[in-house]
Amino acid sequence: MAMLSFERKYRVRGGTLLGGDLFDFWVGPFYVGLFGVTTIFFAFLGTALLLYAASLGPTWNIWQINIAPPDLKYGLGLAPLREGGFWQIITVCALGAFGSWALREVEISRKLGMGYHVPFAYGFAVLAYFTLEVVRPVLLGAWGHGFPYGILSHLDWVSNVGYQFLHFHYNPAHMIAVSLFFTTTFALALHGALILSSTNPGVGEVVKSPEHEDTFFRDIIGYSVGTLGIHRLGLFLALAAVFFSAVCIVISGPFWTQGWPAWWGWWLRLPIWA
Amino acid sequence: MAEYQNLFTQVQVEGPTYMGVELENPHDNGERIVPPFHLHLAGRLGNAQIGPIYLGFFGVAACVFFLIGFTSIGWNYLVQVNYSPIQFVRQLFWLSVDPPAPSWGLHLPPMNEGGWWLFAGFFITLSILLWWVRTYRRARALGMGTHVSWAFAGAIWLYLVLGLIRPVLLGRWSEAVPFGIFSHLDWTTAFSLRYGNLFYNPFHMLSIAFLYGSVLLFAMHAATILAVSRFGGEREIEQIVDRGTASERAALFWRWTMGFNATMESIHRWAWWFAVLTCVTGGIGILLTGTVVDNWYLWSVKHGVAPSYPELWGHVVDPAAGQSAPAVVPAAQ
Amino acid sequence: MNPTRTLLAAVLVGTALLLTGCEHPPMKHEQIGYRGTGMERIVNPRTVAENAPLHAAPEAAPAAPADGPKATLLYKNLQVLGDLNVAEFNRTMAAFTQWVAPNEGCTHCHNPANFADDSKYTKVVARRMIQMTREINGNWHDHVADTGVTCYTCHRGHNIPEKSWVAERETVTEGRMLGNNFGQNRAGMASVGNSSLPYDPYTPFLLKAHEIRVAGSTALPTGNKSSIKNAEATHGLMIHMSEALGVGCTWCHNTRAMAEWSQSTPQRVQAWHGIRMVRAINNDFIVPLTPITPPERLGAMGDIPKANCATCHQGANKPLMGAAMAKDYPALAGTARAPAPVAVARAGKN
Repeated sequence: MAMLSFERKYRVRGGTLLGGDLFDFWVGPFYVGLFGVTTIFFAFLGTALLLYAASLGPTWNIWQINIAPPDLKYGLGLAPLREGGFWQIITVCALGAFGSWALREVEISRKLGMGYHVPFAYGFAVLAYFTLEVVRPVLLGAWGHGFPYGILSHLDWVSNVGYQFLHFHYNPAHMIAVSLFFTTTFALALHGALILSSTNPGVGEVVKSPEHEDTFFRDIIGYSVGTLGIHRLGLFLALAAVFFSAVCIVISGPFWTQGWPAWWGWWLRLPIWA
Repeated sequence: MAEYQNLFTQVQVEGPTYMGVELENPHDNGERIVPPFHLHLAGRLGNAQIGPIYLGFFGVAACVFFLIGFTSIGWNYLVQVNYSPIQFVRQLFWLSVDPPAPSWGLHLPPMNEGGWWLFAGFFITLSILLWWVRTYRRARALGMGTHVSWAFAGAIWLYLVLGLIRPVLLGRWSEAVPFGIFSHLDWTTAFSLRYGNLFYNPFHMLSIAFLYGSVLLFAMHAATILAVSRFGGEREIEQIVDRGTASERAALFWRWTMGFNATMESIHRWAWWFAVLTCVTGGIGILLTGTVVDNWYLWSVKHGVAPSYPELWGHVVDPAAGQSAPAVVPAAQ
Repeated sequence: MNPTRTLLAAVLVGTALLLTGCEHPPMKHEQIGYRGTGMERIVNPRTVAENAPLHAAPEAAPAAPADGPKATLLYKNLQVLGDLNVAEFNRTMAAFTQWVAPNEGCTHCHNPANFADDSKYTKVVARRMIQMTREINGNWHDHVADTGVTCYTCHRGHNIPEKSWVAERETVTEGRMLGNNFGQNRAGMASVGNSSLPYDPYTPFLLKAHEIRVAGSTALPTGNKSSIKNAEATHGLMIHMSEALGVGCTWCHNTRAMAEWSQSTPQRVQAWHGIRMVRAINNDFIVPLTPITPPERLGAMGDIPKANCATCHQGANKPLMGAAMAKDYPALAGTARAPAPVAVARAGKN
């Protein structure tokens, strides 16, 4: 049954959002639920379509497989399957699977009496994907503005979309997003290291307490955010990173068409410098 | 069915400030300066207490050297805008202290020909290394492991590759990153243009994957802990040594969601490695660029990584190809 | 005011400030590369409409009768336009006036007492510019194609084309201890689109023939010594070209491999010739006019205003939206290698 020693007592009925008791069971370690079923449906269909579309392409080389969105001429309409139609259905499947997954997380949170922080956080990742593949293409008027499904091809898309704006690093939201990515990783390293250094203090030392953690950080930088605070901070940093990533791409095109360095003209032209 | 979600501290209870765990050497306790005080705003998010901070030889030395480097950069900026404080603010993002021109190789140029870059870089590097010593010594003084120091060392590795190791291997300071907001972004793009697209550098791919992975992990971990904070989940050390229901629910959440779970301790190992590998693989990727590989796109073509797209406009050929072969010789600078 | 309100107001003002720097949908788009590669061009139709008058070509004057006496029989000192008949000559002169000096009229170049007199420098310059136009139309077909250029392509009714460049005043660092900006890192430089890249992308590439290519042609190092600073200079030039044409990098490049010709669009070949063309006309036609140009027309460094990509393009990927004006003016038709001692050898080999 693949259960942890303490698991049985937590496996209780209830907490579902939809479907009542119908899918309220586990398969191996996985909780199912109605949204587990929809997740499987969308994930299976999407993956199968990815594989089928790949089989129609020129290569099985994992790096080179490319399932591309339609030509811009199709606008926001449907494209023939082999000319971007697969990409469209796969995108729908992806959104279906991601949405189902988030709702499944809500159900599991309820079952375990937990807060909804995880599905809320996951929602930001889905939002970023939704922004890239739906919001921005809709604002620009064609599905062809979405990124392709391919390991290297999506990097080529990033490169080309970036260089349309001559120097994407000058995109202010991109600057903020990258800074937040680095800061989050930095904070994660510090938090992971601090917990490990307290619980693995070396031979002959006893395991340390949060008082030691606070003291260590106060000694080093004069402030310790604390055991609860670091998780709030980490969550905010991570979600802000994702949020600003979504902003940085959705403004590129729909809200700015020139080089990003030129955007900074407003700052240089502020009346306060006179 | 409103339910409390732990995001901010609702009610702050203000206790006495805490000077920290007593250090073995009584003299060391005296090194803790800045009498601690409470800041309400900080308390909304985490601990309200600010301070104290440990002074110590290495901390003071690191701060002094950092200030020397930092001030020399700022002073150069100020001269670039003719000592105008208003223009200093207005143009701040554009200003930069650049490394010497390629023709200087690894020689010491005059101060105004890149000498300031070496000067500032030297002192900031020294400061960073001393700060590393400080993290190590503070951890040992408290009888803790040195995991923070070694994670920090990963970041220092990337920093040293960018500013020291790689320029030295290539024989010119000009390869290094300038000290400036926009200028370091220009450097990043130029680096990718010069070495045939950094996206095709597999270590860059790995580093980005670890970077995104770190953010993902922190979001997952932090959200999980906050979600079980009603069971005391944030008391992680306690949960590690004496598993409680917070740990159990946190573990089961992920087990039921994705069939796999970390433990209260192992999630921090995952975290540590993801974050550290971001810098380590990033440093490797930078180090290989120019030294071992000159054009990452062509390298990827050679190894069957680069996809090919249908040619939409016939075959475009180099208009210079009919003439003498284009010599790739630097002309500017 | 309570803190929450203050914060809210600050956020609102901040957001409004940021939005003033922005545009809004709907936009127009154009696909350049294979679908999904991100090779697209997104333009703001409102900006395009606003700029449309700038890119409208004037109507051609009614054609002159093909027969009649040659202009040399009637006028003196015709060094380049003598082959035209009188009617075509007068028509051409009228067009030049409309294109270059609509307000000043004939006397912008001519001594009203004696039209044949060469005492005004503008007349000498105009003659040289006619030769330059012929040189472009005759020998730079790879860049200007059958569209060709006329005086109007650059002048647009101004004595001096609005888009030209002169050398930047050098930052005085000689003898100073600090503050060297290395010819970059300066705010508000339109030449590089407001970036902090090296702000003179013209002198090295559009006057001198510095190497533009920086990427290596082999996967592993085989002696490519281009530096990061070279790459920054090239990036600066590319930003100038892009902004001059109102396009992004993907107009010419699949940016995953900037240097690879096999990955590039045909526009890159045309642009390649354009760089050589501008370099040649700067060196062979414009710079040699410096001695006769009055000081007030020169830049801060004493150099003559020179051509770059924006001089003709002015923000359009085809100047005047591709209007073929030149065909209506036989006086501007190209001759293979102009009679004046013109050398295009300066175009360089790359």
